[in-house]
Amino acid sequence: MKELRSQRGWTQEQLGRAIGVSRQAVNALETEKHDPSLDLAYRISAVFGEPVEAIFTNPHAPDTLSG
Amino acid sequence: MSSLVAPEGANRRYVVRTLAFMTGYVAVNVAAILGAFDEIIGTPAGMLLGLAVAAPIAGQIWATVAFMNEADEFMRTLMAKRFIVAAGLAFALFSGWGFMESYGDAPHAPGWIVYALFWGLYGLVTPFIRTSR
Repeated sequence: MKELRSQRGWTQEQLGRAIGVSRQAVNALETEKHDPSLDLAYRISAVFGEPVEAIFTNPHAPDTLSG
Repeated sequence: MSSLVAPEGANRRYVVRTLAFMTGYVAVNVAAILGAFDEIIGTPAGMLLGLAVAAPIAGQIWATVAFMNEADEFMRTLMAKRFIVAAGLAFALFSGWGFMESYGDAPHAPGWIVYALFWGLYGLVTPFIRTSR
């Protein structure tokens, strides 16, 4: 997520405003201190124009479970 | 879909509400300490004075819960975790002190201390609770 934000030249503050959360929340998402709700994950996905699973790892995906 | 409330607006409202309630709390207490209510202390009216002082505490807790509702999901979870841990510790410590009074020889601690104890503990646990997981 940090990579996608950096590619677009956005600050945490700017991304936070775009997805309706605080800068602290963006920082927590980037440092894996917070797992987003489904709603927030979709908002992030919409802002970046990427599917959710391209941004966040799905811990329940079959290949993750078998590995 | 959850609402997109500007987090900085929620912060501002929380600070204003907290200041308003705490100003009332301090003002009534200072007035009582300075003797403004001397004639009613120890009477049934003094009971109402006690409730009047406690009312801003309920207001401040409401301001905290309102802030949690307005904050984003990360801040809400963080605050809830800190609130629960601080409240649990305050319950345990204050109950422990009560039992020390009952079964030991501990000096009496007035009940109003628990509010200050709770926020003191909230401040103490805050640096240790930094993740929503």
